[in-house]
Amino acid sequence: MAPRPARAAALVVLLVLLAAGCRERPVADGPVTLVFKHAKILGPADPVPGLLRRFEAEHPGVRVQSEALTWSSDEQHQFYVINLEGGSPPFDVMMLDVIWVPEFARAGWILDLTPFVPAAERDAHFASAIEPAVQAGRLWALPWFMNVGLLYYRTDLLAKYGLAPPRTYDELIRQVRLIQAGERDPRLDGYLWQGKQYEGGMVNVLEALWANGTRLLDETGRPFPEPERARESLAFLRGLIESGVSPGWVTAADEELSRRPFGDGRAIFLRSWPYALDLFELPDSRVRGRVGVAPLPGLPHGTVGAASTGGAHLAVSARSRHPALAVALVRFLTGEAAQRAMTEGAALRPSRPALYADPGLVARDPTLPALLPLIRAGHPRPVTPYYLMLSTTLQPEFSAVLVGRKSPARAIRDGAAQVEHLQQALAR
Amino acid sequence: MSDRRLGWLLLAPALLLLGGLTVYPAIWVIWLSLQYRIPVFSISRWAGLAHYAFLAVDTRFWSAAGVTAAFAVASVALECGLGLGMALGLRGQRHGRRAAVALLLLAWALPSVVTAKMFEWLYHPAGGLVNFLLGGRPVNWLGDPALALPSLIAADVWRTTPFVALLCYARLLTIPAELYEAAEVDGAAGVQAFARITWPLVRPILLVALLFRTLDALRAFDLMFVLTGGGPAGTTETLTVYAYRALFQTLQVGFGSAIGVVVFALVMVVAVAYLRLIHRQEASA
Repeated sequence: MAPRPARAAALVVLLVLLAAGCRERPVADGPVTLVFKHAKILGPADPVPGLLRRFEAEHPGVRVQSEALTWSSDEQHQFYVINLEGGSPPFDVMMLDVIWVPEFARAGWILDLTPFVPAAERDAHFASAIEPAVQAGRLWALPWFMNVGLLYYRTDLLAKYGLAPPRTYDELIRQVRLIQAGERDPRLDGYLWQGKQYEGGMVNVLEALWANGTRLLDETGRPFPEPERARESLAFLRGLIESGVSPGWVTAADEELSRRPFGDGRAIFLRSWPYALDLFELPDSRVRGRVGVAPLPGLPHGTVGAASTGGAHLAVSARSRHPALAVALVRFLTGEAAQRAMTEGAALRPSRPALYADPGLVARDPTLPALLPLIRAGHPRPVTPYYLMLSTTLQPEFSAVLVGRKSPARAIRDGAAQVEHLQQALAR
Repeated sequence: MSDRRLGWLLLAPALLLLGGLTVYPAIWVIWLSLQYRIPVFSISRWAGLAHYAFLAVDTRFWSAAGVTAAFAVASVALECGLGLGMALGLRGQRHGRRAAVALLLLAWALPSVVTAKMFEWLYHPAGGLVNFLLGGRPVNWLGDPALALPSLIAADVWRTTPFVALLCYARLLTIPAELYEAAEVDGAAGVQAFARITWPLVRPILLVALLFRTLDALRAFDLMFVLTGGGPAGTTETLTVYAYRALFQTLQVGFGSAIGVVVFALVMVVAVAYLRLIHRQEASA
């Protein structure tokens, strides 16, 4: 009977096994090989192999081995944690979700890039992309590409009713009512967003907090510094569902689940990331040529366009045996030429504002200049090494509000208590 | 060398392998669960039973324990009931048995993450097949706290009932037809034949299926992880999902291990209970 129940521990012992696992013994001689770990780059034409060959041509004797990570962000994080904590990383350069950078820096898993990156190079990126890469005054990663929350709207429907994209959520709600009353189509939903209990749901709540002029943590790390405003933000999100402006199922929606109905022409507004735009403009898309993007609307106490930024950064493993070369690869891949290639080939948004006015890129993607002010107005998620703990602790609380299981005030109280408990545990 | 010693010697490689692969990591996890260990914050010190004390009052833990128990009881009961029914139906079938068995295997053979993704679209409130078949009402299967867990149980039942059905079916095929003929001659048919012949003969194998399914259900992870992420409002967060979040998402190695140890203990208790039941049945048979 031993093997069967013991298999129960398989999940939890994975970390342990790998920690105890073998250490790789690299070959000392011969050409230098840099291992580059990154998620598969989607889009029309993956530019990464071409870029790596160019880097190899510029650095004779260096070979870059590109290794793809799994697609899911959770699994990528798990992969890194197991390998970096286990102390046997056979890789030099790694692609990180922006929210992991402070954590990895704090853990000592990535190299301090400060001495290698001149100030001008750092300043060539969006401030909201650099800010999360700085911990304790040091720079730990360089931004590779950029994401920002956007409001998608149906240009045809808004034009039909003589409406401009909403600047406030009150306006958005009025527009939804007006259009739904006029269209008399029960299958046409109002405003779609992501309310599932996951990181994306967290992002939507953070945006509601910022839209109302408040935030999750203040400078000292205290949660919900203005509880009344936070309460309003959560009540607003729940109100969208209760009033029918958003369908009830947004409480289970992630990016794809909410993108599809909008792409099928079954919603007026959608909150999503820039990737959706490319899909809406595909030749067989039902909403091709009928989709516009605008900044996220504001709530009474806040500003317009308080969207979350996201994206990927590149960092160097602290255990890399060729740190100088690895840093060179990071600087090359985050450089202007490489980001231009990434923007062209992979339909990703660059982290360098200068490229948003690049004539060649704008000719291919006319939406780029419109994105620039939206990204500039964006906010990074709380920049702290314990962001993931914070997020997974609070997600059930926020989800409970969205499905009507808890009042906003109660969820904020319970959430704050849990965050404080967490902070105490970490401070000891 | 005595036979006894030779026996141990021959067993040694297997025992060492099992020990190395199961006992050693299990002990290590228990050891980890007695520490505060959060690598990111360079926290590594003795905690004693502090994690277990916290679990005793942790509402999220108790909620996860309740979800795990509800999921296990409901899904296993349905799977065994339906599986046995399917097996009986299959035996009564004259034609197309092979095709039916192949179809059954299909559901069982799909990787569980694929099954989960498939159900994600079946349950989609706006464009999903389930709502379409129900007449287009936008039922919020995965986003409604009252429906999310039942929806996951239904997906699990769809996926694993074939396993139970095939086990039972295999057993049914070995029951000689003469038994039923004799029963019929004696005037016992239908329900009586089932209660006196089929049930006692199928019961042992059903118990084995029950054991396997319960242990799997107590460690349920992939369906909830893919479909709901434990939501809404934590109503589908099982113990293993909670352990995963603590261990791999938030790197609380000590605390996560403590949850893992609890799951392990739970599974052991259930496994031992089942095995006793099975042994007793074998002894009485």
